[in-house]
Amino acid sequence: MSDTPVVRVVNLVKIYQTGGLPVPAVRGVDLTVEAGEFVAITGPSGSGKSTLVHMIGGLDTRSSGEIWLEGRRADTLSESGWAVLRREQIGFVFQFFNLVGNMTVADNVELPALLGGASPRHARERREYLLGELGLADRADAAPAQLSGGEQQRVALARALANQPRLLLADEPTGNLDSRNTRDVLRLLGRVHRQGQTIVLVTHDARVASMADRVVSLLDGQIVDDGAIPRVRRRPAGGAGDVVELRS
Amino acid sequence: MPRSAELRWIRADLRARRGQAGLTVLAVAGIVTALIVAATLLEGGTNPWRGLFERGHGAHIWIHSKDVPDVSALRGLPGVTDVAGPYRSAPATLATGGRRVPITLRETPAAFTSVARPLPREGRWLDPRAPDGVVVERSFARALGLRPGSPFTVTGLNGATHRLTVAGLAESGDQGFYPEWTPGLAWTLGQTLDVVEPAPGRTEAVTGLRLADPADTDLVVQRAVFTLRNQVQRVTTWREVRASMELDDRLLGLLLALFGVAGLVAAALALANAAGGRVLTQLRDIATLKSLGFTRGQVVRMLLAEHGTLGLLGIALGVLAARLVTAYAMGETVAVPLSAGPLAAIVAGTALAVLVAVLVPAWRGGRVPPLPAAPAAPPRGRLSRLARVALLVRLPPALVLGARDAFTRRTPAALTACGVALPMMLITIGLGCWATLDDFGRHPESVGQAAALSIRPGDMTAEEARQRVMADPDVVAAYPGAELDALVPWQTRTVRTRALGLSSDPYPFPVVEGRMFADRGEAVAGQGLLDLLGVRVGDRVRMTIGGTPLIVRIVGRVIEPEQDGEVLSFGLDSLAAKDALPPGFYALVLRPGADAAQVRARLQEQGLEVTRAVNPAERLAVVRVIIVALVVVLALIGLANLLTASALGLRDHVLDLAVLKAMGLTPRQVTATLVTAAGLPAAVGVVAGAAAGAFWSRALIDLEGRGSGVGAGIGRAPTPGMLAAALLIAIGAASLVALIPARRAARARVPVTAR
Ligand SMILES: Nc1ncnc2c1ncn2[C@@H]1O[C@H](COP(=O)(O)OP(=O)(O)OP(=O)(O)O)[C@@H](O)[C@H]1O
Ligand SMILES: [Mg+2]
Repeated sequence: MSDTPVVRVVNLVKIYQTGGLPVPAVRGVDLTVEAGEFVAITGPSGSGKSTLVHMIGGLDTRSSGEIWLEGRRADTLSESGWAVLRREQIGFVFQFFNLVGNMTVADNVELPALLGGASPRHARERREYLLGELGLADRADAAPAQLSGGEQQRVALARALANQPRLLLADEPTGNLDSRNTRDVLRLLGRVHRQGQTIVLVTHDARVASMADRVVSLLDGQIVDDGAIPRVRRRPAGGAGDVVELRS
Repeated sequence: MPRSAELRWIRADLRARRGQAGLTVLAVAGIVTALIVAATLLEGGTNPWRGLFERGHGAHIWIHSKDVPDVSALRGLPGVTDVAGPYRSAPATLATGGRRVPITLRETPAAFTSVARPLPREGRWLDPRAPDGVVVERSFARALGLRPGSPFTVTGLNGATHRLTVAGLAESGDQGFYPEWTPGLAWTLGQTLDVVEPAPGRTEAVTGLRLADPADTDLVVQRAVFTLRNQVQRVTTWREVRASMELDDRLLGLLLALFGVAGLVAAALALANAAGGRVLTQLRDIATLKSLGFTRGQVVRMLLAEHGTLGLLGIALGVLAARLVTAYAMGETVAVPLSAGPLAAIVAGTALAVLVAVLVPAWRGGRVPPLPAAPAAPPRGRLSRLARVALLVRLPPALVLGARDAFTRRTPAALTACGVALPMMLITIGLGCWATLDDFGRHPESVGQAAALSIRPGDMTAEEARQRVMADPDVVAAYPGAELDALVPWQTRTVRTRALGLSSDPYPFPVVEGRMFADRGEAVAGQGLLDLLGVRVGDRVRMTIGGTPLIVRIVGRVIEPEQDGEVLSFGLDSLAAKDALPPGFYALVLRPGADAAQVRARLQEQGLEVTRAVNPAERLAVVRVIIVALVVVLALIGLANLLTASALGLRDHVLDLAVLKAMGLTPRQVTATLVTAAGLPAAVGVVAGAAAGAFWSRALIDLEGRGSGVGAGIGRAPTPGMLAAALLIAIGAASLVALIPARRAARARVPVTAR
């Protein structure tokens, strides 16, 4: 792991114009995420959490400020520049899973690899591996609508990890799940994190946030608290046998 | 560029909506088929030569020589694939019903030949057991009123007269139509020819050459003339034959172009609606794709490829279907497929329409922001105050809820209305064309054909002829007339002038602008002539007729269906006496309700040469076929649009349904609500489209009339009955189409969503 931070944002501002009225959603955020870090972003509803991660992933444009990914300036990229960057370096998991409805589970997971230029055979192998790891190998040919919420979110996670992104952005990935499914998804996130995956996770839920190395609290678009969580408070890790190689 | 991701998505999407994709392909294919069949019919109708020549395996070159030529030398010429004949041929004079007309008798074998084969149309072919039966070329027979079984006499060069009978009528791509091509032709057996023309020196030999490539015609003619030295008397080629058959009808062409454009608009509409509706339902998926790293360009390309492929597939299928239809279903009427030029125009035109139609939704899809949207809005369980009041006063709740829905969700309602209104407008314009054609047929006087018949005196004097026709009980008036070509300064060609009636008693021309001529030196003209000379009503025109200068003032514009409107009409008294007397023909106005064919037969028996006016509606008959085909296709497109719209509406309604049912509406009431919600905008669209169509059709047809030289003033709006029927059928069909998905939705279990 190099010394350059995976994410560095400097004085990031986002102001929406709604009906001529400026609505500041993010007001001058400075944030650095080192490689391998697991950062949780919390805060009350409307505090700008989603807006912040959307800007980091290039889904939304910034009003001012800088975004550096892997030491490269990203906020000046064009829309398609961002798209190419996303497909190679960023994986997204959303609250509503956002699987492509008319594609099978297998197609959904293979899509990013194909988009990244992998051969169909390689994409298939990668998909088989990921779905196997997430316990969904037998659902490969199902349509997303046939899966439960937890299963859908696990597929979405497999899809986000398909291209071995440097950065995984998750916006309330458990916001729509019951507690059992929440536990499953969090266990998976913990597993990929232990293998070195850099994760930025948005959540309301203090218990979810407690899984992270570091919790950033937002209020009214500004960081009000940024602190590492002491190791002891972290959720006890599973046994050594629990570690599964998710990065081929 | 990694295309496989795009292909994967396209494949998945097409698989998920096989039915809709199939419908789209069929709609485009239907339009292309209709256009190609129409163009094929038109080509065959305006230029029958191609079909006749192809079927009869005609000869491109005919060589008339004194003696039998060296056939093997001709056959050996490069480019010649086959030889017809040589056949002996002799001139004679035909006499029937008191008229004498030159005719060519041509020997032909009783068995059909492989090259230059006449195509029997009526009656029987030549039979050696009945040698006085001959087969007469059809257009010639028609002009003379000959039918199978009619007797007639021919007089040979030696003056001897022989009685022959018409065994049958035939057409041929080797003989032009009478009277453009004279003399008329009759095919006879060799033995019959020997009887009429016993002197061998008075017959000539005609030999036909069929070529591998028609473009070689001139070269082969030169070589043949050289090979046969001084024997050749004259040569005719396929070009002259074709020219004698071609019907140059600008109005027909323009009307067809109008329908072609309507068809293309319809194709574009069908695709735009299918693609647009699809993209609208997919915005969320597209946003997801973009969050995965699809660029805007990739999304646009992907959508273009998917929907464009469907369109192109439809075009290919349409071309194929048109080939099959013309070859099998219409094998009798259509001899040759559409030639390359119009076919290419249709294919390129639809391809362009497809591209434009798909571009807009694709561009819209490309602009979708990558932000993940939450799934469709949660149900709003509250009713407007208006709706609650309506429920209280016990209006049918379904109606109230449906209407509320139609007017609160304005964009989808507007889309539905437009998707129905456009096809409806085009259908109404088609009905307007139909009404116009009907009007041509029902009121021929309004297109300048007050006279159903015209006669030429022939052998008798003009006065004698006039007395004979006026004696007929069905003839109301006989206007003396003369048709002459006039030289106009600055024009390289002549224009047709028609002197008909007298200034004091003018023929009832349909004057639509200005007034009828009422004095010597006044004239009325068709739009085509005004355009040709660049003059307007009120201007003076100077011309030379038969060497005599004539100055006329154009006082009015008439509807002029002949000669593309390039005709000037005035009273016979405006002409110099040498040109006016005796009148060349009489135009006969018949008693209303009289049967022109019967009157014609009676007059022909009296030895008069009678021609029947050909109504433009007859020449435009092909347009009716096209109108029907287009109305069907347009109706299907309108319904498909509606189906897309109501499917889109239902998708947004799934959650509202729960509320409606929770409020205690029965399934039937839910169905009625949904049908009202989809049907109301559709009905608005139907009415608006019909109104726009009725408003525009007249102007549009008049525009066509003007462009074709016939002149504005022919357009008719659809009759109220037609319009009412169209409206009722359209609204009924729309409700039915809205009913299908609504019933299914109302019956379905209300989905319990976790969202
Ligand atoms: N597209 C938009 N247009 C205008 N204002 C917006 C838009 N998106 C978000 N906002 C506003 O920006 C602010 C921050 O929104 P954001 O979605 O980032 O909050 P959040 O912290 O993610 O909230 P939640 O926990 O509810 O998801 C809110 O006040 C919101 O109303
Ligand atoms: Mg949020």
